[in-house]
Amino acid sequence: MVMFIATEATLFLMLFFAYYYLRHVSRGPWPAEPPKLTLALIMLGVLATSSVVLHAGERAERAGHPGRARGAVAVTVALGLGFLVLQVLEYRDHLRTLTPTTDAYGSIFYTITSFHGAHLAFGLLMLLYVLLLPELGPGRKPPHRALHNASLYWHFVDAVWLLIVALLYVAPHVKR
Amino acid sequence: MSRGRVTSHDRYGDCVVGSLVETDPATLARRRLIALWARPHTVWGWFATVDHKEIGVRYLVTAFSFLVIGGVEALLVRLQLAQPEAHVLTPEQYDQMFTMHGVTMIFWYAAPILSGFANYLIPLFTGARDMAYPRLNAFTYWSFLASGLFLYASPFVGQAPHAGWFAYVPYTLKEYSPGLNMDFFALALLFLTISTTAGAINFITTILRLRPPGMAVSRMPLFFYSTLTISGSIIFSLPPLTAALVFLELDRQWGTHFYDTSHGGSAMLWQQLFWFFGHPWVYIIFLPATGMISMLLPVFARRPIVAYTWVAFATVLTGVVGFGVWVHHMFATGMTQMAMSVFSAASMTISIFSAVQVFAWVATLWQGRPVLTASMLFALGFLAVFVIGGLNGIVTAVIPVDWQLTDSYFVVAHLHYVLVGANVLPVFAAFYYWLPKMTGRLLDERLGKWSFWVIFIGFNLTFFPMQILGLLGMPRRIYTYPAVTGWGQLNLLETVGAFVLTIGIALSLWNFFRSLRHGAAAGKNPWNADSMEWETESPPAVYGSERIPVIATRHPLWDDFDEEYDPDDDRVFDEGRVTVVTSALDGVPTSVAKMPDDTMTPFLMAAAMTVLFTALLLKAMGVALAAVVGCLIVAAVWLWPEEERRVRV
Repeated sequence: MVMFIATEATLFLMLFFAYYYLRHVSRGPWPAEPPKLTLALIMLGVLATSSVVLHAGERAERAGHPGRARGAVAVTVALGLGFLVLQVLEYRDHLRTLTPTTDAYGSIFYTITSFHGAHLAFGLLMLLYVLLLPELGPGRKPPHRALHNASLYWHFVDAVWLLIVALLYVAPHVKR
Repeated sequence: MSRGRVTSHDRYGDCVVGSLVETDPATLARRRLIALWARPHTVWGWFATVDHKEIGVRYLVTAFSFLVIGGVEALLVRLQLAQPEAHVLTPEQYDQMFTMHGVTMIFWYAAPILSGFANYLIPLFTGARDMAYPRLNAFTYWSFLASGLFLYASPFVGQAPHAGWFAYVPYTLKEYSPGLNMDFFALALLFLTISTTAGAINFITTILRLRPPGMAVSRMPLFFYSTLTISGSIIFSLPPLTAALVFLELDRQWGTHFYDTSHGGSAMLWQQLFWFFGHPWVYIIFLPATGMISMLLPVFARRPIVAYTWVAFATVLTGVVGFGVWVHHMFATGMTQMAMSVFSAASMTISIFSAVQVFAWVATLWQGRPVLTASMLFALGFLAVFVIGGLNGIVTAVIPVDWQLTDSYFVVAHLHYVLVGANVLPVFAAFYYWLPKMTGRLLDERLGKWSFWVIFIGFNLTFFPMQILGLLGMPRRIYTYPAVTGWGQLNLLETVGAFVLTIGIALSLWNFFRSLRHGAAAGKNPWNADSMEWETESPPAVYGSERIPVIATRHPLWDDFDEEYDPDDDRVFDEGRVTVVTSALDGVPTSVAKMPDDTMTPFLMAAAMTVLFTALLLKAMGVALAAVVGCLIVAAVWLWPEEERRVRV
């Protein structure tokens, strides 16, 4: 799982590289209008909370409380779904001024954010699958491999969003 | 304890044991192992097998088929160029032909053939029962095959990729290439990327965790170092390719502007991303080949390799520094003096590491008593060719020279010297060395030596004149040329050379098929080699070696060892599909891992992905969505915990 995350992380690194490369070669302001911060920061809060909850769940599982762990995973899934809803809202607002086909900035902006969204959805499916697995019931010995792997991936996806907020949302405001 | 005399051995069936009572514990253990590890002899079993040996052989056969296909394409290209103003192919066919040749050889032959060897050999080197993730391994093969078939669907609709193997934008954008040609290229490569990455993760885990007890990193076969290095490279170098291809597809099919300079995009972005992947890839298809040379050359020199540690370090450093040289493919694109100097220096540094390896091989030969088998001849041929390829590589790392030579036939000569030299010749050496292990039959030595000389002469006839033509100014990838240029004669010579080369390869192929029937029995260790795979039967039993070995030295079969000593049969592990897990550095046993059963899920996963990529090609998004759901369902079934398999004997 660590290696899978390493290759995924490199992929995002390359996307950020492309973002900065395109910025580097662009003439004129980049971006023409910096994206709004409010929603992105709320989304960051949602994901940060979910990471904390999931980590608590994992600790509970190690301590031998699978029931509490299940609860934490369920809360994480709910928060993740909330994030996706917010993302849709953000897109609906954002698409009025900028689309993927407007210019190179639009292309890379939507590619990075939608790649993140897809990864988040994938992480959600992993967590749901963990809930379905028979091992997270009573009478099983910790640690729970699948839960551990899924939460590693989840933390990774959250960390990527932190980078996206910092580089794509906040940085253009700082420049001004 | 007596082991009994096994008179003949069937890979899938039972042991046929001469004059032994069934109560002999060793025989019973062997029968239990076979019952555990053999796959059913049915169509289901053929698709569901996760046996690394079967998968390895399939890899080798498939990749070799791609070599033959790519070779035929090269012959057609050579025929077209044999005479000035020739019209063997139309210009469009010619473009497709040289592109398919490059793409096939670089992506579907060179790396997969090495994966084939690694797949087959690594668990035998370690005495593990299989790879770390056997089902992932099966998936890796099926998706490699499927992506290859996907690519080769393109000529049948007359729309094969046609923009060279590095597919520079803007030629590859919709505006200049409106057909499906480049969509086939991008999607087939994306598909292959998934397969290759999965394979790399599998190799790393296998090498780090499934080594036998006692095999610390300082005792690993050198092949492990090269495979480990390139697997690490794959994990970090394929994402840029993925990003580049995704951008290309988005630009082509969905109207984005990554590479479109009129909307703030940049054509150079493709080059940066592609070569950031591209140069590590060169090492990915070259290092495992040197790893194989480092294993077989000392065996035929009859002594351990000189400077084992240096070779190991040089291998790893080549992989690492390989990430810092991509810009040398782009010296002619205009950049600051400083940037060019850095990358030029890095490109020259990397030749030091290759030189370390070459000197170690030469010293091994010098200190040993070389035996000139066919395999050894190929290894020596590799040394010669590789040195030439390396030298004309250093020449192109010098920027002013590069400006003169870039996109000329000189570069074509360089890359063929390096790639044929550093991949094809070692692969043939490895075939002559390890095929007896796989088939149980020795290849004919005389025919092998003939094959080597014909290949070697044909190769040099083909590619040496290319250097001269490059210096004379002949560009690469031109459809034809006028007679006044005076390039005709050398081109004719090259075409003749290409056919000689083909005859040489055909000789080896014939040798192989002949050996299956008429070859002498190989026995366990025909070369008196030092590594663990030669301790198994030829061909190895389904379960590999009967006991999980314990390693005490770097050359287990050359040094005194007492492999049989296992009075309580503690190392047989015939209670279930399991193998021993050890710690990553010291090889201390930590646990016993459960291994999965044969299953259809890897095949189904590759099939669902084929549907997905076909749907993306045709922009049938509904089908694509259904395929994604299919993939997820297969993944869910795959990951569901399975019941413990019981022994039937």
